[in-house]
Amino acid sequence: MNTLNNYWLRRVLSSLLVIAVVLSLNFFLFRLMPGDPTGSLLDPRFSPEAKQELLKSYGLDKPLSQQFFMYVKQMLTFRFGISFMSQRPVWQELAERLPNTLLLLFPALLLSAVLGTLLGVAAAKGRGRLTEKAVLLSGAISFSFPSFFVQLVLLLLLAHAFPIFPLRGSLSVPPPTGFWNLLVDRAWHMALPIASLVLLGFGSWALYVRNLMVKVLGEDFILLARAKGLRENEVLWGHAFRTALPPIVTIFFLSLPGVISGAVITETVFSLHGIGKFLLDSVLGHDYPAAGAAFYLMSLVTVICNLLADVVYTFVDPRISFRRLR
Amino acid sequence: MGLALLLAVSLLLPPQGKAAPLDELRRPSIDELYFLIIRDNDAQLLALEGGQIDLLGDIARFSDIKRLSDDERVKLYLAEGYHAFFLGLNLRRSPWDRAELRQSLWEAVNRRQIVRDVFGGYALPLFSFLPPASPYTLVASTSDFNMKAARERLRQKGWRWSKRGVLICPGEDKPLPKMKLLTPTAQVAPTTAEIAERICESMRSLGIPIETEPMDFSMMVARLDRRDFDAYVIAWELSRDPDSLYAFYHSSMDVPGGYNISGIRKPDLDEALESLKYAANEAEARLAAEKVQTLLYEYIPQVPIYSRYHIAALQNEWQGAIASLYMTPDNTYSLLSLRHENKKAFYWCLAEEPRNLNPLSASSAYEWQVLSVIYESLLAVDPFTLEDVPWLAESWRLDTVSKGGKEKTRITFKIREGVKWQDGSPFGASDVKATIEFLKKSAIPRYFDSVKDVERVEAADNTLTVTFSGKSYWYLHQIGGLPMLSAGVLSSLKDWRRLPEEDIIGTGPFSFSKYKPGEYVKLDKNELYWRK
Repeated sequence: MNTLNNYWLRRVLSSLLVIAVVLSLNFFLFRLMPGDPTGSLLDPRFSPEAKQELLKSYGLDKPLSQQFFMYVKQMLTFRFGISFMSQRPVWQELAERLPNTLLLLFPALLLSAVLGTLLGVAAAKGRGRLTEKAVLLSGAISFSFPSFFVQLVLLLLLAHAFPIFPLRGSLSVPPPTGFWNLLVDRAWHMALPIASLVLLGFGSWALYVRNLMVKVLGEDFILLARAKGLRENEVLWGHAFRTALPPIVTIFFLSLPGVISGAVITETVFSLHGIGKFLLDSVLGHDYPAAGAAFYLMSLVTVICNLLADVVYTFVDPRISFRRLR
Repeated sequence: MGLALLLAVSLLLPPQGKAAPLDELRRPSIDELYFLIIRDNDAQLLALEGGQIDLLGDIARFSDIKRLSDDERVKLYLAEGYHAFFLGLNLRRSPWDRAELRQSLWEAVNRRQIVRDVFGGYALPLFSFLPPASPYTLVASTSDFNMKAARERLRQKGWRWSKRGVLICPGEDKPLPKMKLLTPTAQVAPTTAEIAERICESMRSLGIPIETEPMDFSMMVARLDRRDFDAYVIAWELSRDPDSLYAFYHSSMDVPGGYNISGIRKPDLDEALESLKYAANEAEARLAAEKVQTLLYEYIPQVPIYSRYHIAALQNEWQGAIASLYMTPDNTYSLLSLRHENKKAFYWCLAEEPRNLNPLSASSAYEWQVLSVIYESLLAVDPFTLEDVPWLAESWRLDTVSKGGKEKTRITFKIREGVKWQDGSPFGASDVKATIEFLKKSAIPRYFDSVKDVERVEAADNTLTVTFSGKSYWYLHQIGGLPMLSAGVLSSLKDWRRLPEEDIIGTGPFSFSKYKPGEYVKLDKNELYWRK
């Protein structure tokens, strides 16, 4: 039990250290970048005095040490301050966007992973047959097409030429009334963006899982399982897949932070109000509070997901046990 | 080819003088105005073609213009704008400190070919230091590409060419060193990057060894701020007034944060620019603007390249748009005059998120696209003549008064009666006074320059008098263009950065109804609007 406690204590402490480093880098790297928040303000009607007033209103006239302590306080209390670009609280901006991004990327990631894994297993099972060739070909195609191209073609076909899906946004304008109508409307709007991401994302999962499974299916213990007379499905899912599962789980959890950072291209093509474009604009516009908060949240989610991956490992891999370590 | 392009452009030009005069504008026939947020260019076009939006402004891609011009369901409008693209030079460094080289460069860049090749003719070659639509623009007499004349000018001034064709400064032995032209990357700004390449080719043809240095835009701006460059290209969105001239070319603006990036410092130019900035009336301003531009054609601190047209598309079924040579129909006047046989809701595309609907801190064009139909100013701009027209002020008078041996401008506005705020309370001179005083007291960066010289504001009945600490005709536009806010709202406002949604109250033809981030902004017709 002590070993277990020590292990988790060490993991939590190292995670906190990572967050502290990220927090500091977040602050200093942005300030080391060339330019300042007034740099993007190219307007000859703005005199140098007015620009100074702007910097003052952002609190950037204060000493760097004071700015740093204010920043750390803001991050730790999850207040995040005021966005330079919009002059609105950063948490409000994030709260507006995060649901859309999660609603887009989480189902897309989950569906891509599930579909890709099923196809990967099927390809490994039917090695040398048409199934494998079809999965390899579709996986390679899905993996290699640029997202903006696929999404624009889908938009042109299914929202314009055959207007089955809406062209833009996550809601009709004006929006329908009633909870169920709103829910259906939201699902209708998200269907095409999610489908496009699944189409673009399942390939890499399928190829990865297929390679893992092919390797595992060639192992001696699989031969032994078959020799024992186990049914093929039991061998495939109960033995081979379970052995291949830990790296799949790792990849899945490591992909989760990407769900927070958003998908700039998808959000732009489908006019979705998400985190991706916000993050890009914040970095380009030297919007320190907004970009800092977004990166801080991403690092928090990464650290938490890594911890979660460790927890899940103990369930999916019977070889991992703290008792044995002792 | 040239004739075909000219014909294509002229077909897009709006008919002049056919729209209703401003006096005939009435309360809008549109009941609900939706600003639909669509960021992707292709999606915008599809939405217009699919009838999901009625108005799309700022169409820039040549292929889109061509596609829409073939579509009978929409009407395309084209207007000269305030966009100006310049080739900037660092006059603090050799060889750009030599006027004859800059003058030769003026003739060595083939602007007409750039416009033809890059924009398919949908842009104007620029031969002036002010944008084409500005009433103060003075166009250069030398406006054609002439490489032979450019080389001859340099030869006469003692310049030579090395065996490799590189220029050698008079009195020197070595050819010019290699230089860099800063440009944003092709990924971010493809047309700018392409034009930069073409300009470099022209410069190399003249014997200037230069290559482009593409970089991230913020990094480029930082280099310009540090004055660490040889040459650069940049596009500006300027205005009707010639205020950019002082900002770009007066020596006092060659400071950190100032826009005199080229570093020109000429006493006679400074004097002319001061005459322009502190002109007592419009006649003086026009004379001074002409003198400044005449000097600029001699000094050439930067080389104008082209100006983009403003192009907008409107669904054909909407009638009564107000458009001119200077304005496409994406303006407030059109919203007052547009009508449709059976539709009462109008959908206008917003190409970016209007993240901030607070008129005190909003800064992007997209935010002002929404705010400009909610808030109004004392003066407006006539879309046909670009002259000032009375709006919330019925009339005005500009005086120069002498106080303590110093000349000061005093503007007296007669405020329009019968105007109401969207919450039903009456609008009057006291609201204007409260707005100006609030902006000055709060030192709000966006309005800092507009009100910093305001010395005293007096309101009596429907008359407002503003006295300034100095003398300038431009004070009229600075005060006349401020968005008017209600004294009641301002008195309860603790922090100018936080304007609650319920306090978004103007006098404009539409009132704020709902903002659904990422989706739309909805405005409703203002039933109390002062135009009956």
